[in-house]
Amino acid sequence: MIELRNVTKSFGPNTILRNISLKIPPGETTAIVGPSGTGKSVTLKHIVGLLRPDEGQVLCFGTDMATAPESELFKVRRRFGMLFQDGALFDSMSVGANISFPLVHHAQHMSEDERRARVEEKLALVGLPGIYERPTSSLSGGQRKRVGLARAIVMEPEVVLFDEPNSGLDPITSDAIDALIQEMKEALGITFIIISHDIVGTVNVADHIAMLYGGDLIAFEPTKKFVRLKHPVVRKFLQRNLILPEGPDDVARLPGLE
Amino acid sequence: MLNAITALGRFGRFSAGIAARMVRRPFFYAEIMSQVWTTTTRCLLPVTAVTFPFGMVMALQGLEIFRLFGAERMLASLISIATLREISPVLASVLVAAQGGSSCAAALGAMRIKEEIDATEVMAVDALKFHAVPRVIALTIACPLLNIAGSVAGVAGGYVTAVFLKGEPGGIFLAELWSFMGPTDLYGGIVKTTVFGLVIGLISCYHGYRASGGAAGVGKAVNDTVVHSVVAFITLNYFLTSALFGAAGQ
Amino acid sequence: MISTLAGIGRYGLWLRDLGRALLVHGMPKGQMMAEAFKIGIKSLPILLIIAAFVGTNLALQGYNAFKPLGGQRLVGMFVALAGVRELAPIIAAAMIAAKAGTEMASQIGVMKIREQVDALEVMAVNPLAYLVAPRMIGILLMLPALTVIAIFVMLSAAYAVCIYQLGMNGHEFIQFAQESIEPIDFFYGAVKAMFFGAIICTISCYFGFNCGKGPEGVGQATNRAVVTSSVICIVINYFVSELLYGGAF
Repeated sequence: MIELRNVTKSFGPNTILRNISLKIPPGETTAIVGPSGTGKSVTLKHIVGLLRPDEGQVLCFGTDMATAPESELFKVRRRFGMLFQDGALFDSMSVGANISFPLVHHAQHMSEDERRARVEEKLALVGLPGIYERPTSSLSGGQRKRVGLARAIVMEPEVVLFDEPNSGLDPITSDAIDALIQEMKEALGITFIIISHDIVGTVNVADHIAMLYGGDLIAFEPTKKFVRLKHPVVRKFLQRNLILPEGPDDVARLPGLE
Repeated sequence: MLNAITALGRFGRFSAGIAARMVRRPFFYAEIMSQVWTTTTRCLLPVTAVTFPFGMVMALQGLEIFRLFGAERMLASLISIATLREISPVLASVLVAAQGGSSCAAALGAMRIKEEIDATEVMAVDALKFHAVPRVIALTIACPLLNIAGSVAGVAGGYVTAVFLKGEPGGIFLAELWSFMGPTDLYGGIVKTTVFGLVIGLISCYHGYRASGGAAGVGKAVNDTVVHSVVAFITLNYFLTSALFGAAGQ
Repeated sequence: MISTLAGIGRYGLWLRDLGRALLVHGMPKGQMMAEAFKIGIKSLPILLIIAAFVGTNLALQGYNAFKPLGGQRLVGMFVALAGVRELAPIIAAAMIAAKAGTEMASQIGVMKIREQVDALEVMAVNPLAYLVAPRMIGILLMLPALTVIAIFVMLSAAYAVCIYQLGMNGHEFIQFAQESIEPIDFFYGAVKAMFFGAIICTISCYFGFNCGKGPEGVGQATNRAVVTSSVICIVINYFVSELLYGGAF
């Protein structure tokens, strides 16, 4: 249901994406990895229609995000949830107001109480119960990601996108976020698309891995096959980390507030 | 209220610090010259783009009234002394605050947020002396220079409207410009804008240097700079005008 | 020069997008009044101070210029005419550009660099309708009111200076001032103010939306917002004055 066909995108003289074709398997977790600046975020932005390709199509639920008018784009986006790098929360609002924002705008049939109940439910899911009233500016980095994730899933979307969920986090918090994503995956069973440069976490949680390098899609395989690929660039990238994991780690209970 | 007084005190200490640094060696001549040049060139267009149309409006409104009394001849002198005494100093300073003060606060603020100021201090270089003093001096020098340009533009705007758009005789206009002018008119504006420039410089460096809270802090520093500078010099303007031009008339 | 033209073009396109967004999405209710009050209340103290000291100088300079020529009558007339027709709207506009305009540019700029504008889009909310519309309404509602307040404060300050510092006759001053202004001048002042308000709001928001990266980007956006809107307002002022007052006195 999400597919890039022959997508090419340049910024000035730099070609960031060259003739990329990629089909995202529904209901599973796909990671898009690669060194910095290879167009991972750009790919994500194409999927949600924040960027439009120079050539090619971006099909989401049958709509071509590259050419659709705003009203069509909006219809498709209501089926997405996205976690931005720093959470992209609105500082002028409380945590609860942030998370209920999509509900207020798109679920007007819900009463105030119903909305509050839904928000509290999602907050509990991401491991931050009871902080509905907190001001957003008082949150730590890890907490912002969790709140951002709660907002991304509050409309119960079919697809959740993660833009570098581990960026800017210390190792312990980073592990906690990985664990959270794993939990969400098991709890929700919907399509996840994760952009990452953190190879360990990715291998643990993703069902499929796509690798971008130099503007090309150099590999796209189920995880088990990906880690055994002989492609030199893939090998080099994987070996940046010490050990290749044998399988998913034990998922610890969420550690609560950092 | 108490906050305002504390803030004024802090500002006073800051300004004293800047003043002290201005007279001690080393002097970063190159930096100062470069700042003067940058500030003046950046503000030139905004200042003239404001005084010229205002001169036009003065001519427009002035002629409407003077034509009723048959006193069109007086338009030129009205425009010239109004521009020199009030309009140009005030408008030029507003735009210097908006452009020069803004960019000074923005530059220092960004440096503060990105810890460049801390880095300078760690390298045992006096950050205020290197970054702030040249900018304060630049604004103090640039403002009167820009005032001169603004005055010329203002009178030019009046001329264009009166002569080309409303058909007043050009020669008479130019001759009458000088009728009521005195020496105070010529240096009064310079005195005013030098003071205003200094005020803008101190306030913009103060807010920029003390910016905090990320990118939003830089925005706030710029905001506060423009607002406080304008309030400060509009208030000073009253006292300076009373002193320079007195209540006794020419 | 070319980049200025390109910039004007981009601004035009942005305005078109804004217009479309407002037509399609309307505005978020309830936020309107809050925005309007915020802009008005925060700007008031500054407006009062600036209007007062512009009034004082209007009186001082008017006295210097006209007393030798035509006595008190001309002073009152000059203060009233110049103040009401030209200075008050410009003061109100300049102050809104300085306070509200810079705030808009920097608030939206910060949201842009922290991807909050993108987040709005991804959550299927049009950022132009959501962010710009309430501010625009707030300004359009507040500016005429602020202009009228500016007029009164300015004239009162001028009156005070004339009486206490310059020793003029209070009654005569008021009489001559009243003679020169007509009610329509207040209306024109409000019209001007609304033009200025629209310009300031759109330009400031435009620079906020096109903010460059990092703190420097926000600083630059704020800087450009206040300078550009001030200059454009004063340039437009000539044309509006020409329209309202030129030849139709």
